[in-house]
Amino acid sequence: MTTSITGIGHSVKRKEDARFLRGKGTYVDDVKLPGMLFMDIVRSPYAHARILNIDASGALALPGVLAVITGKDLDAAGLAWMPTLMGDKQMVLPVDRVVFQAQEVAAVIATDRYIAADAVALVDVEYEPLTPVVDPQKALEPDAPLVRPDRENKTNHIWHWEAGDRARTDELFDQAEVVVKQDLYIPRIHVSSIETCGCVASFDRISGKLTIYMTTQAPHPIRTVFSLVSGIPEHKIRVISPDIGGGFGGKVPVYPGYVIATVASIQTGHPIKWIEDRSENLQADSFARDYHISAELAAKRDGTMLALRATTIADHGAFDAAANPSKFPAGLFSVITGSYQLQAAHVAVDGVYTNKPSGGVAYRCSFRVTEAVHTVERLVDTLADELEIDPAELRFKNFIQPDQFPYKSATGWEYDSGNYPAALQKAMDKIGYADLLREQAEKRARGELMGIGISTFTEIVGAGPSHTFDILGIKMFDSCEIRVHPTGSAIVRIGVQTQGQGHETTFAQIVAEELGLPVENITVEHGDTDTAPYGLGTYASRSTPTAGAATAVAALKIREKAKKIAAHILEVDADDLEWTNYQFQVKGVPSRAVTMKDVAFAAYTNHPQGMEAGLEAVDYYDPPNLTFPFGAYICVVDIDRGTGEVKIRRFVAVDDCGNIINPMIVDGQIHGGLTMGMAPSLLEAITYDEDGNIQQGSFMDYLLPTAMETPVWETDKTCTPSPHHPLGAKGVGESATVGAPPAIANAVVDALSHLGVTHIDIPITPWKVYQILEEHGVAEA
Amino acid sequence: MHFEGQQTIKASQDAVWAFFMDPNKVASCAPGFKSMEILSPEHFKPTLAVGIGAVRATFTLDVHLVDMREPTHAGMQAHGVAAGSAVDMHSAMDLTPQSDTLTEMRWTADVNVRGTIASTGARLLESTARKLTDRFFDCLRQKLETAPTVPASQTE
Repeated sequence: MTTSITGIGHSVKRKEDARFLRGKGTYVDDVKLPGMLFMDIVRSPYAHARILNIDASGALALPGVLAVITGKDLDAAGLAWMPTLMGDKQMVLPVDRVVFQAQEVAAVIATDRYIAADAVALVDVEYEPLTPVVDPQKALEPDAPLVRPDRENKTNHIWHWEAGDRARTDELFDQAEVVVKQDLYIPRIHVSSIETCGCVASFDRISGKLTIYMTTQAPHPIRTVFSLVSGIPEHKIRVISPDIGGGFGGKVPVYPGYVIATVASIQTGHPIKWIEDRSENLQADSFARDYHISAELAAKRDGTMLALRATTIADHGAFDAAANPSKFPAGLFSVITGSYQLQAAHVAVDGVYTNKPSGGVAYRCSFRVTEAVHTVERLVDTLADELEIDPAELRFKNFIQPDQFPYKSATGWEYDSGNYPAALQKAMDKIGYADLLREQAEKRARGELMGIGISTFTEIVGAGPSHTFDILGIKMFDSCEIRVHPTGSAIVRIGVQTQGQGHETTFAQIVAEELGLPVENITVEHGDTDTAPYGLGTYASRSTPTAGAATAVAALKIREKAKKIAAHILEVDADDLEWTNYQFQVKGVPSRAVTMKDVAFAAYTNHPQGMEAGLEAVDYYDPPNLTFPFGAYICVVDIDRGTGEVKIRRFVAVDDCGNIINPMIVDGQIHGGLTMGMAPSLLEAITYDEDGNIQQGSFMDYLLPTAMETPVWETDKTCTPSPHHPLGAKGVGESATVGAPPAIANAVVDALSHLGVTHIDIPITPWKVYQILEEHGVAEA
Repeated sequence: MHFEGQQTIKASQDAVWAFFMDPNKVASCAPGFKSMEILSPEHFKPTLAVGIGAVRATFTLDVHLVDMREPTHAGMQAHGVAAGSAVDMHSAMDLTPQSDTLTEMRWTADVNVRGTIASTGARLLESTARKLTDRFFDCLRQKLETAPTVPASQTE
């Protein structure tokens, strides 16, 4: 009986893989509607220019081209600009100026995808180049070119944000015996999901209903925004987010292509398909990171950490189009105090406009946590180096202790639970830390370069409690609706949207566990605003903490009603029943029991008089707090003195995400996350030349890791349940992306520390390392 | 990008000057030359097909000769567009006679490439530009140094 349920804790094979592995998924580009037309976009070669004229006659003369849409056309309809999720506004199509390279300038509608592409080349746009501002520091200088003259405030400075206690922090720094300081640049990177962005917009002129198939992580808020901007009533808009080939934060924003395709469909009465090509995706869609950080850590000479402070310039590109919670323009960067006891901390962040595409995407991290964790974990190692204390010992000395939870951090977060020493000890035992230190000493004596790097990070996920978290005023709850059918199967609809996380399996497992129904009899649906309950979507590792909790609570609501029906069937008082072994049983009488299947049938055929028929429930879950997953990662690298190449020899990741719903899926998430953490550590960065030309406009120059670069990850777990989550779960999708970069960077710096190297900015490329080796005379010719 | 160079050409200063003043002759040595519209002796529009790494683009350049001081100095401004890309170039040359049959040419070029070509071919831009420049001067030298005596069929 219990084995067939395969609820929480079972490595159930992913239901969605049956279609994905056969190539039978339905992605946006698979959507084909009768009479569908195709859209392609004319993009700006200039990072900053005035548009003098757009001559579309050549394009319109090409057979098969039906329309060319410009900013002036949209302006006439009041749609040349649209609001961003951060309260800024953003050009859909420019009326008279472009503000980043590859910005959308006009759109061509044609009967064929290739005709549309040919026609793009025939649209003649006359530009007057303007001086671009590429460096955010220079953007703040008084005579810098203005990126956004449309704003009332004639400056490139967007906002200033701070957290923590500045006075107390400064006081501790003044008294400190040791202060270490480090400037870090966390470079701009791109999420590069395997599926680019796109949509099929279909406006039905008879019903007045607009249906948009869209690669979005957040269909519900997007429908609301579309309704508010367009004036189309919300019930006449249906956003369908079908199978998504990776989101990683890049599919939260609204891109101009979605809006232009919608306008084109309304104008032509035909469905319009728009799918980006790879280079468009890489050059124009929103980017992540791009933080210029200056950070300091104050401590006593015995290694006791006292305080941390950081100032940061955040390059947001030409539009502040990130999707951070409204009150957090710098995301959850104030989690920068990490896993350590600090008496005070202070962080200040300034958002800046530059002539680049929008920045600020939470790339597989919960709103700027990657930047924060990299900073504190590098600082801890810098302090260890300064004090000549082993980095593991220094961490043990300063960890928040298990009995201190819930722990109020120096910047105001209440960490729900944790056991940091246990996780680090487990990682050290698994990798054989003491042996590695001995090996390193021997190798160093022989001139070989080997490094050991530790990262003991704390994540902050599951946004979030409605008192603090909203996006455009919409509170960050999430939802679940469960309906149990008469024969004991069920449909579960959730407000979050899967992009590879395995929701169709894990959410079914939650319901299976709580209702005692076999997991294969439970269907999970999501991503269709006409059928799914309202939710904020999937990003920031929030699905399990929010919608997962909603699912558990909705299931428990059903169980409450089911208990009454069970009592009715068994002709006993409900108080005499207990839920045990996935069935309702008369207390102490195992032979007198009914299953949920029996109850479901009765709910439609034999429900008690005076009770509503049916068996269903809805829950909108408002989490009381965020959850704080954590982990201890140890990385061992060898450096080739001839090429500067960093080779990850071993990487042990001990994660703690509380109770686990599906261990196999969690392991998969961690493997993927570690690889996506290694990538920006060693390979990926987006840079611009002084004219604002992106230097990595294709995968020839933007290096994604392949199986060749990816080491064998060794994973393990500790389990510290969240005390406030109904399942004790915490969320795990992003822990590894957040935790891996500092472990790798710390390992490389450790390999070179005896040469006096104290810091290397990521990505740590062979060229960067080789220059350091040459500088210190240890490079091999 | 800034480029500069020096060439010694086995031809008289007048012959070199005359070569550069004839847009058809210059164009015949331009890499990827396809066609040209001549609007005036100092204003013409050649169309060139250039490949940089994986990117191929066909540019129509709008070329003006400027700052002409016969037979020692000439300047050129060019602006061109191709799908998703734009190029601007300011260049100048100075001719100094070394003897009746030997002319030294010093040249500079400031080139700005923006858009797809710059973003997808950035790593290769400078080396490609140098390669194309070398090819241009090889062709020029071949034509100028042998032109008067060698039949046309051998100049190809």
